[in-house]
Amino acid sequence: MAHRILICDDAIFMRTMIADILAGAGYEIAGEAESGLQAVERYKTLKPDLVTMDIVMPDMGGIDAVKAIVALDPNARILMCSAMGQQALVVEAIQSGAKDFVVKPFQPARVLEAVQRALGG
Amino acid sequence: MTDARRARYVALFAAEARSLLTGARHALARWQEDPSQQDSAEEIFRALHTIKGMAASLEFTAAADLAHATETTLSDLRRGEHAATVAWLRAFEVALDDIAAECERAIAAAGGEGAANTIGAARPSRIVRVDLDRLDALLSDLGSLVTARQELERRSEADTFSPIARAALQMSRRLDTLQDRILDVRLAPLSEVFERIPPMVRDLARTLGKDVAVAVSGDRLEVDRAILDQLAEPLLHLMRNAVDHGIETPDVRREAGKRPGGRINIAARQDGDAVIIEITDDGRGIDRDAVARRAREIGILEAQAVLTDDGLLSLLERPGFSTAAKVTDVSGRGVGLDVVVVRMREIGAALSLTTVLGRGTVFSLKLPTRLGIVRALVTGIGDERYVMPLTHVIELVAWEKELVGQQDGRAVLFVRGDALPIVDLRRLLQFRGAAPPIHRPAVVFEANGQRVALLTDAVHGQIDAVVQPIERPAGLARWITGATVLDDGRPALLMDLASVV
Repeated sequence: MAHRILICDDAIFMRTMIADILAGAGYEIAGEAESGLQAVERYKTLKPDLVTMDIVMPDMGGIDAVKAIVALDPNARILMCSAMGQQALVVEAIQSGAKDFVVKPFQPARVLEAVQRALGG
Repeated sequence: MTDARRARYVALFAAEARSLLTGARHALARWQEDPSQQDSAEEIFRALHTIKGMAASLEFTAAADLAHATETTLSDLRRGEHAATVAWLRAFEVALDDIAAECERAIAAAGGEGAANTIGAARPSRIVRVDLDRLDALLSDLGSLVTARQELERRSEADTFSPIARAALQMSRRLDTLQDRILDVRLAPLSEVFERIPPMVRDLARTLGKDVAVAVSGDRLEVDRAILDQLAEPLLHLMRNAVDHGIETPDVRREAGKRPGGRINIAARQDGDAVIIEITDDGRGIDRDAVARRAREIGILEAQAVLTDDGLLSLLERPGFSTAAKVTDVSGRGVGLDVVVVRMREIGAALSLTTVLGRGTVFSLKLPTRLGIVRALVTGIGDERYVMPLTHVIELVAWEKELVGQQDGRAVLFVRGDALPIVDLRRLLQFRGAAPPIHRPAVVFEANGQRVALLTDAVHGQIDAVVQPIERPAGLARWITGATVLDDGRPALLMDLASVV
């Protein structure tokens, strides 16, 4: 069965792009969330195998969402999606329980590699 | 990436970036009104951040770089590395415009979506962005040229058929055309200010638990950029008053037999060279009896006087009257009108008012669409120059000791038997420079039905002054209403004699 992935980003553009990359590689898109708050809610109901998480979002940013999800499920697998120049925040996210990160603009190969590694680990 | 997929991303980018930029502009407007509002700064930051990520993904490098740079200056600000000064906010507004323009360019270049809808993208090579400072410089040069023309006209008057006189006439006509064109270049649409109004009204109405619909029309009309910049604040103030003090809560409205939702209309229309903006609300109106009672209490209204709309406005615009705690409840929509009126006067606009208790209020602003050139007198205190429009000036009088006397404990100047109160410009300016000359000319002017003698150090002649509104630092005297450039290139402040009295 294909792994199910929840995509969290406040931009439809970014969600579409990530969904295209993942669906193209045979993953199932479990759902999408456009804020940190929504990400936590969707995580509870959808129980996805992996979450891609944007950092800057309204109503609870990505880092707080990581903390909330990890508190719900210590085994949650979360992949951070960050823009350039957010190293400090990426480090904080990893310390909070995220597995890995990819940097925008996305290179499909890099995204898929990180997804595979996060799911395998 | 396939072409079809890329086209889809470009379309998504176009829709999302435009909406984010509009949101960011509205947030910036809210932030300018209330700099303590961190939410607005946060929203702008997120918008820039998202646009950067999207643009980078489509390899719209210039747009991504611009968004990144703008996001960085905002981050620096939020970390307290610099302050949100007026100049910074203005530059930031321009940066948002630049990002929007760059996004449109990139969308169009990508063969994009709906790109033809926007003027900027449809004709990218036909539009030039110009810093307002450069246009101001152009205007100053124009002012000097107009002043030089007068000199030329004066000298050629002796023989109106001479070749010089004919050449002067030719030049004079060209100069009129040039003046019109330069003033035209500075025009900007009212929509730049009007588009900030509906979100502001919605926010405020929500906060106050009111239901307010706002309709805007005529926002394509154009006025000078400097006038537009000065218009924003007083206009938003009047809108806030309309929502806060004009429109009643749904319960109160129902009791009064009105629709629960209030309405505010902002309509602009051309009226010759002027633009008239009417702000109409269907709220509670202003209680003129209550205002009249208060005015009688403090002795600024005759016991039997009938309060017309004009009379009401002249009470409400008295400094401090409408904001005095006792009167705030009753003046309603008049709160803070004194400030609005001063601002309006600075840009040569007139304000009028019609109000019916229980039915609503109409504020009407009549503003010039273009900056004016006024005939003015140049006076001096020490090395400084002060310019006053000739409209109020009656005559110049040489000041002599014998002409000065006392009346009711005030220094007065006797001019042909009339005792005119003296206002010393030096004292008004708290000037502490060089000592005054022995002989000082007095400018006799009439304002608000009163003649006054304004003592200066010297009179330096007349000019045609191109009036430019100025940014007002806190504490700037209210009678300084603008700036102009003298024919020798020196800047001078423009005085509104009516507010000196």
